[in-house]
Amino acid sequence: MTETTATHCPYCALQCAMALTQTEAATPGRGARVALAGRAFPTNRGGLCKKGWTAAELINSPDRILEPMLRQPDGSFAPAAWDMALNLIAERLAGGRAEHGADSVGVFGGGGLTNEKAYQLGKFARLALGTSRIDYNGRFCMSSAAAAGNRAFGLDRGLPFPVEDLDAAATILILGSNPAQTMPPFIGHLDGARAAGGLIVVDPRRTATARLTENGAGSHVQPTPGSDLVLLLGLINIVIAEKLVDQDYIDSRTIGFDELRRSVGQWWPERVQAQTGVPTQQLRDLARRLASGRGTYILTGRGVEQHADGTDTATAAINLSLILGLVGTDHSGYGTLTGQGNGQGGREHGQKCDQLPGYRKITDPAARAHVAGVWEVHPDSIPGAGLPAVELLASMGESGGIRTLLVHGANVVVSAPNADRVRAGLAALDFLVVCDFFFSETAALADVVLPVTQWAEEDGTMTSLEGRVIRRRTAVAAPAGVRSELWIFQELARRLDAPSRYSTDPAEVFDELARASAGGPADYSGLSYGLLDEGQAAYWPYPAGSTGTPRLFRDRFQHADGRARMFPVRARVADAPAQQRGILTLITGRLLEHYQSGAQTRRVPELALARPEARLQLHPATAAQLGVADGGWVDVTNSRGVVRCRAEVTLSIRHDTVFLPFHFPGEQSANRLTDDVTDPVSGMPEFKRTTVRVRALAGEERGADA
Amino acid sequence: MPEPGSESRPGPIPERIVLVGYGPVGARFVEELLPVVRAGLATLTVVGAETADAYNRVLIADYAVGHAGREALEVTDTAAARATGVSILTGTSVTAISRTRSTVTLGTGAELAWDRLVLATGARANVPTLAGVARVRRNLMMPPQDAATLDSNEATLPRGVVALRDLDDARTVRGAVRAGGRIVVLGAGVLGMELALAAARGGAEVCVVHHGEIPMNRNLDRGGGTVLARAARAAGVTMVNHSRAESVLFRLDDDAVQRFDALICADGKQIGGDLLVLSCGTGARTELAHLAGLPVSTGILVDGSLRSWADPRIHAIGDCAHVAAPPAPGAGAARPTGGPTGLIGPGWRQADRLAADFTARLTAAGSGGAPAPNEFAAGRAGDLLAPATAVVMLKAEGVDVVAAGDTAADPWDSEPGSHADGCATAPVSVSQWADPEHGRYVKMVTRSGILTGFVCVGMPRTGAELTLLFERGSELPADRSVLLRFDGPDDVPGAGGDAFARETTVCWCNGVSVGAITDAAAAGNATVTCIGAATRAGTGCGGCKTRIGELLDRFPVPTPAPAP
Ligand SMILES: Cc1cc2nc3c(=O)[nH]c(=O)nc-3n(C[C@H](O)[C@H](O)[C@H](O)COP(=O)(O)OP(=O)(O)OC[C@H]3O[C@@H](n4cnc5c(N)ncnc54)[C@H](O)[C@@H]3O)c2cc1C
Ligand code: SF4
Repeated sequence: MTETTATHCPYCALQCAMALTQTEAATPGRGARVALAGRAFPTNRGGLCKKGWTAAELINSPDRILEPMLRQPDGSFAPAAWDMALNLIAERLAGGRAEHGADSVGVFGGGGLTNEKAYQLGKFARLALGTSRIDYNGRFCMSSAAAAGNRAFGLDRGLPFPVEDLDAAATILILGSNPAQTMPPFIGHLDGARAAGGLIVVDPRRTATARLTENGAGSHVQPTPGSDLVLLLGLINIVIAEKLVDQDYIDSRTIGFDELRRSVGQWWPERVQAQTGVPTQQLRDLARRLASGRGTYILTGRGVEQHADGTDTATAAINLSLILGLVGTDHSGYGTLTGQGNGQGGREHGQKCDQLPGYRKITDPAARAHVAGVWEVHPDSIPGAGLPAVELLASMGESGGIRTLLVHGANVVVSAPNADRVRAGLAALDFLVVCDFFFSETAALADVVLPVTQWAEEDGTMTSLEGRVIRRRTAVAAPAGVRSELWIFQELARRLDAPSRYSTDPAEVFDELARASAGGPADYSGLSYGLLDEGQAAYWPYPAGSTGTPRLFRDRFQHADGRARMFPVRARVADAPAQQRGILTLITGRLLEHYQSGAQTRRVPELALARPEARLQLHPATAAQLGVADGGWVDVTNSRGVVRCRAEVTLSIRHDTVFLPFHFPGEQSANRLTDDVTDPVSGMPEFKRTTVRVRALAGEERGADA
Repeated sequence: MPEPGSESRPGPIPERIVLVGYGPVGARFVEELLPVVRAGLATLTVVGAETADAYNRVLIADYAVGHAGREALEVTDTAAARATGVSILTGTSVTAISRTRSTVTLGTGAELAWDRLVLATGARANVPTLAGVARVRRNLMMPPQDAATLDSNEATLPRGVVALRDLDDARTVRGAVRAGGRIVVLGAGVLGMELALAAARGGAEVCVVHHGEIPMNRNLDRGGGTVLARAARAAGVTMVNHSRAESVLFRLDDDAVQRFDALICADGKQIGGDLLVLSCGTGARTELAHLAGLPVSTGILVDGSLRSWADPRIHAIGDCAHVAAPPAPGAGAARPTGGPTGLIGPGWRQADRLAADFTARLTAAGSGGAPAPNEFAAGRAGDLLAPATAVVMLKAEGVDVVAAGDTAADPWDSEPGSHADGCATAPVSVSQWADPEHGRYVKMVTRSGILTGFVCVGMPRTGAELTLLFERGSELPADRSVLLRFDGPDDVPGAGGDAFARETTVCWCNGVSVGAITDAAAAGNATVTCIGAATRAGTGCGGCKTRIGELLDRFPVPTPAPAP
């Protein structure tokens, strides 16, 4: 193949368009070499970030696993033939099921899998394994916003409008998201608001995104971590008290205003100031700006959603948007910025423990009947709802819990909260199978590791942050020993005598997915590869016979009566601990150079060189107090774990807060410290408000590296 | 906690809970208790003297001056509580508690039996001794049967004199503000100042009369109070200090009823006006408890679990409660320290805590209510026994005043460094910043580095941060000026920094610095496109292309980049 292939970036949900050209074909021992360029597309307008530019290096990486790897009695790995590996896995899956029941087998998926793989994984788990125990890492990502969207609108699509709609806005409020580092080409869409002085960024850190507000482009609001819900309730209070609401919209399109009004009565500005650290005048100015009516968007990200009250926080952001009359209009809106490449599609097609394809509820008899029809099985043979990710992982090694686990597109040892506990759980398993390109930290603990195709070696679809279904295309052949998950599912299903079909052809799987989704909230039934390949901008729902839905909710919301629900939510006043002698609040997040657990980006030399290790960000005043020097070693501890890394002393963070990126493994793994308490609605863990103690390490404690 | 909707399951006989007082704290308790009521584990009867459903008293001044509508005062969904099965009797007073029979007597003569009694009777405004204004010793009186006269007991205030506490009072003030009248506020505590500033903003002519030197003298030190007084004057409020009010002059209305005309001070000053607002502090409504033989001090005495010192079945929360550790058996009857704060935050915490305890007990969930044990000690605000530390914040748009703790100390009071780090008896240290010309004043009082009191005027962000630090009992940065800079122009880190420094990032998408670009330029890349090809700068969102152009103009090829 020497021609150029149009595809999209393997990493984040912006799914920047790329053009790939093979410069050297794959050999049995090495992946192909590929030249990569940005490609014009409405979201990225030809631009790419550093991660995207260097993505192709992984195809040819010397670290790639090129054959199935089997753990040996001495703990090392040795290559094995596919047949043998698959036989072993099938035997262990069947044996585990026979001995401990189907629910002793767990499946952990990922938001980076294509729609086809995510769909097939869910089907494989339910039919071939008969287990209800499937969930995925999107639980750590989009679950709170998803739950809030479903509750309020009856539907969850990250952005219910195309990204370019942001260009014309005069005011954009971004809460807890740092797109300037996580999806940089996106920030071009903020230029209009910046020119109008209306970019408002809420973040405890002065991030690259927060700095876009400088020089009159807007304002940065810097609340203490974990106080976002109170901040939003305070804004709602001001909007109502100052009569800035859009009463016609509230009357005609929503339900629940009176309850909402009463529920925020207790959050007058001074009380909000006392909880958040944001001055009343700034709160008032912000509320007035949002209501100025010149095109206003409210966008949330993981910073406000990854909390044990994340669903309620996202709900509050939605309530604020609704009383201002923003949602479902041509000029304004609310959205959540999806993180993972297929974080949107990944949550629609059945790898969530409570869902069937098309974003259907697994507990809904009609949904079960429909999907069973497509799968040609009896509805009763589809298991019920399983456990959300944190609970699923916590059940490893517990009685009645998971004993055998399949992991696809996730590196839970680094990305799940309370990582040391996850590691112990994995060690307690009878059998662990991981599909990956590399020996990720999780793969390194597996009994069998299966090498799978990378993005440039496969066809499929992804659903981007704006709910647009786009095509991933094969640009190069994979090395001989590497297989697609679709093939692996087919092979295992055959060995397990599973009912239904498991095609290895992505287009065929997509057609089946489309049929399974027909009539569901995320309806893809009007879509096909043919149509997508014509370049159709396909936003779901896209029922057969339609042309899709770039903008949702313009006439009605998805609840039966067409109205949005305003759920009154309450903030629990959390008592922050006394911040004395190094006790501080830890927040975690991403860096420009790395993606998720870093299993991929840490293997790109240019990225690894730019950011070789985790650094704990802390304020100079805090650093001075603790005797921490810029670049000096610190340890960060709590009862769950210890992190050791160097410090980065910076004014860009609050004095009561420290920050760690979560991309790094081992003793730099931020998630050794995070708590696995979860949101009662979404199952989202508390990633962004962890109490830790920070201590400077003396040279001798650090040993040779110091 | 029981599942919503799990009602009507046969179970134990529901506990009868009676709540006296339906103010904001009582209402919070009701909300928190709804799940157990819904689950049939308890019945809840609420008796409230006011005819209105519970509302947000904190905003009463905003309502009184017309800034807030009536609906802005709603804080609770009374209809929802009723629908859940809570019986709420408004316009009804409790006139007596019988502990032997476990009943309360209502103003109507009816009796209600209880297994648990919760008092949330709140506080009333103090009426100072003024010739011409009748006073009753209400802390000893029997509550009247007519709920409407709960606080006046027939001795109603004269026309044109009001103490702002409830909706009726607010309506009186509203009338005067609307009519553009002149308002005299007696007392310059936080409530008096809030009302004065709000009324002035609402267009009224306002005069505050107080006997101290500075306003808010219970909360502020001289510096802070002086700056506040100036800010108030600038906002159009006349401040009359050092004035002890002695009596009231009346004139006759058309219907021959006396109406307030002027306040007369000890020094002979006469301050005329259309309305006199008494803002002389509040006192807890303790009489019910007192007459029932329960110990009271400045409030109804309850322990850290909010139980009466004398009767574990009776609880008090909110403005009527004085939370203090009971004396050890046999110990002398020392006067209990602390007292009600008169602030809503501690009251709501108490309501939450008590409801959580009730819920845990009733659902036998054991630890259900108690907050999960934490390896790190909770901040100061979580400690119910330390309510004297509440933060006081003035609610006035444009005048930022916040204070907490003891701020009497002076910077030069103590020798630094004479005590070991962490020593509990270490003297306090004081840091101070005064800039009266610009209306700014900050005082921070610390003990062993931990903030124990502060005053902050005219510096909103600093005040907000100090509030957080104080509520948590946190350590201050050794360089206290860090806190002052929050309100300075240099709070924007990096802004005004050197845009052409080598390490400054130009292209965020690709993390390319000035240095990388100038190096590429030095290597012969003369156009923005060439720079993009060499460094990827400008190949993301493209927003930095203009900046790259500027850099190229400034460091033209082939001039090498200057060393940093
Ligand atoms: C103008 C003003 C401004 C304020 N500003 C602030 C502020 O900014 N911040 C802050 O934290 N706090 C503020 N407060 C204080 C705050 O309002 C009180 O802390 C709060 O109202 C206490 O609530 P509570 O329910 O304990 O008592 P209350 O609100 O006093 O309610 C008690 C209720 O019990 C009823 N009751 C009493 N006795 C009986 C009986 N025998 N039988 C039946 N019913 C009875 C009363 O009628 C009343 O309705 C302000 C108060 C005022 C007046
Ligand atoms: S922004 Fe996201 S999609 Fe675009 S290049 Fe970077 S990682 Fe890839």
